[in-house]
Amino acid sequence: MTAISHERRQAELRKRSSGRLMIFGFLSPTLAILLFMVAYPIFSLVYYSFFNFSALRQGAMKPMGLKNYKFLLSDPELWERFVFTGKFVFICVALQMLIGIFVGYQLHKNFRGRDLVFTLLMMPMMLSPIVVGFLWRYMLNSEWGIVNFLLHSVGLPKVDWLGQTNAALWAAAAADTWMWTPFIVLLATAAFRGIPETIHEAAEVDGASPAYKFFRITLPMSAPVLFIALILRLIDSFKQYDLFVALTGGGPGSSTETVSFSVAKTAFSYFYTGEASALAVILLVIIIGLSMILVRHLQKMSERY
Amino acid sequence: MNTRTRLRLMASSLALGSALAATAASADTTLTFVWHAGTCADALTSIAKDYPDKSVKIVPALVPYGPQWHDKIASEFAIQGDAFDFAMWDSQSTAEFAQHAVKINDIFDKSSYLKADLFPAASLSRYGEYPDGSGEFYGLPANQDAYGLTYRKDLFEDPKEQEAFKAKYGKDLKVPQTYQDAKEIAEFFTRPDQGLYGWAQMGGRDYDFATTASNSFLWSFGGELYNPKTFEVKGYLDSPASVDGVQAYVDMFKYGPPGSTNWGFDEVNTAIQQGQVAMAMQWFYFNGSNIDPKVSKFADKIGFGVLPGAIGRDGKFRRQFSVGGQGMGINKYSKKLPELAKFMEWYFQPEQQKRYAAVCQTGLKAVLDSPDWQNLNSYNHQFSQALEYLNDYWHLPEYPVLLDELQQEVSAAAAGTKTVQQALSDAAEKNERTLERAGYEIKRSEKTPEVPDQEISPVGVDAVVPVE
Repeated sequence: MTAISHERRQAELRKRSSGRLMIFGFLSPTLAILLFMVAYPIFSLVYYSFFNFSALRQGAMKPMGLKNYKFLLSDPELWERFVFTGKFVFICVALQMLIGIFVGYQLHKNFRGRDLVFTLLMMPMMLSPIVVGFLWRYMLNSEWGIVNFLLHSVGLPKVDWLGQTNAALWAAAAADTWMWTPFIVLLATAAFRGIPETIHEAAEVDGASPAYKFFRITLPMSAPVLFIALILRLIDSFKQYDLFVALTGGGPGSSTETVSFSVAKTAFSYFYTGEASALAVILLVIIIGLSMILVRHLQKMSERY
Repeated sequence: MNTRTRLRLMASSLALGSALAATAASADTTLTFVWHAGTCADALTSIAKDYPDKSVKIVPALVPYGPQWHDKIASEFAIQGDAFDFAMWDSQSTAEFAQHAVKINDIFDKSSYLKADLFPAASLSRYGEYPDGSGEFYGLPANQDAYGLTYRKDLFEDPKEQEAFKAKYGKDLKVPQTYQDAKEIAEFFTRPDQGLYGWAQMGGRDYDFATTASNSFLWSFGGELYNPKTFEVKGYLDSPASVDGVQAYVDMFKYGPPGSTNWGFDEVNTAIQQGQVAMAMQWFYFNGSNIDPKVSKFADKIGFGVLPGAIGRDGKFRRQFSVGGQGMGINKYSKKLPELAKFMEWYFQPEQQKRYAAVCQTGLKAVLDSPDWQNLNSYNHQFSQALEYLNDYWHLPEYPVLLDELQQEVSAAAAGTKTVQQALSDAAEKNERTLERAGYEIKRSEKTPEVPDQEISPVGVDAVVPVE
């Protein structure tokens, strides 16, 4: 009896370990790629952030401890970049969510030419941000731009869109909203169309008004998808760089420089590699922190609906 | 395997081997160059197509003008890569890129044709020497450029305008020799109701747009960016003379089209080509298109001149403006240096450089000295004079950081978010911090001059020296 049970146990163990081996075998290529593509760069980034060195100007790497972080966090200009980035993110995401949900709600209904309208609406999203930046730069040109031409033609004064701090912020937000609202439209439409028609029909039978149906049925039931759209747009707007390169160059002064703009400039124009790494780590921590809060909120929301 | 099969296999192997050998022998060597896209890069590419050695191909890797161009070169040097073999970079970038570039003196030593005396000494120094005065060169003056003045000849030569100007200002209407004169003429021609403005200049935040223009004013009024001996910036960049200069630059926007404070060269060109401005400060590089009737409505009405100077607060006259253009540098990590040296020997022959000079500005002495070159177009004569008055940014490896800090502040002054004094003081503070972080020792003087030019390479003279 004992010998038989021992053999059985051995066979079971062999089976289990070969199963584990197989799992490891299947996972290892992906793990290796992840380690090489994600873990290694992040480790290097954190490591370099403790040194004073330039990838371009060859010389010894001087250990700095936390000095790069102290320097950055005590630099009032960096805080100005954060404030500007925050304003930009808030304006863009708010506008994109409002317009996107409104347009998405109109497009989830069936009507003739709906697919064509939908396809046309998606076009700005397919452009590169740098192209969008240049396109809007020309459209907002104070003398020859179409925007001022239209304003002037209805008797309104021309606006120096890119030469004044506040106007430049709104100009950049308008360009970003033009480009990325279709993304919200896409997800919102999909979410709205995913709600079973029977629920709306039942609400109609109960005499629910269109507004009641929208706010009490459509919006809550689409909330998880819309929340994912919000998270993606928040993270993406926070990283915005190329649009500003083309549209304002960060000016006037440095009033339209986002934090990502500063990282790119410090890393690839100044070639302060250590300092840029520290700044990237700060940015990474913020984005991860923000994402974790939002994802936790999303999980709660998914459980509710 | 029978004998026949073996023979077939051998024959096939031989044929394959010969084919591979033949392919290797005729393989193209590609020499890739990085530059910003434009007329001059196109000219180089077009000329290179006639390079007699057909196994060598010159391939452009072009980027837009601006930080992307600098960053592309810098990034490749940072990884010590050979994605390009040679590049055109700004004169002030030589200090930053020198440690990654081939010392051109070695090419001069080995070549029987390519020698330093093929180029004007000042040009070779301007576009390739680092450190200043060392006699070590890292670039050749492939594309010279300078700021210049363009103006509407039809307006300046109109008797009615001349009469009206004389009645208002008590002097003749003529191409200005000082910024003080330019301001009056700009004011005279500023007529928004007619869609006409007096002056156009760059003021944009991008790359070096605002500061190449503002520095031209700053130097002409006797200011300086820093003291190269003591590395002091405070007291020099924000000296009274420097403030006078940048203030004069900011004031000129009053006579420019609305919103021109964020203009780059594209917008200035458009204003010139549409006849929207009476005068403009623009690089000679663009004059080819400004006199091209296909793109310029006022092609036959545009005149060219040398930029004005200024009478500074010390009563001295100075005329100094920003150098433009690029030197040709060689990537020391390139594996094709022998082929590149041969190509350069061919490219810098007068025959090729004459073709280049038809559309852009060569640095080859034989072409520049030839009377044909002076008469090649309507602005070469002025360009040759402009070369006498050039000045440049800091020739230090920290140039991109110093530039960005100054750009940021001058752009803020142009937009009116800071006074000129505040902007230059902030820029001086930042520049000194950058120099200190890079390890420079700033030796503080007890007193800094009101007009720094009096101390640093003085150029001031007692009377206005006109340039025709």
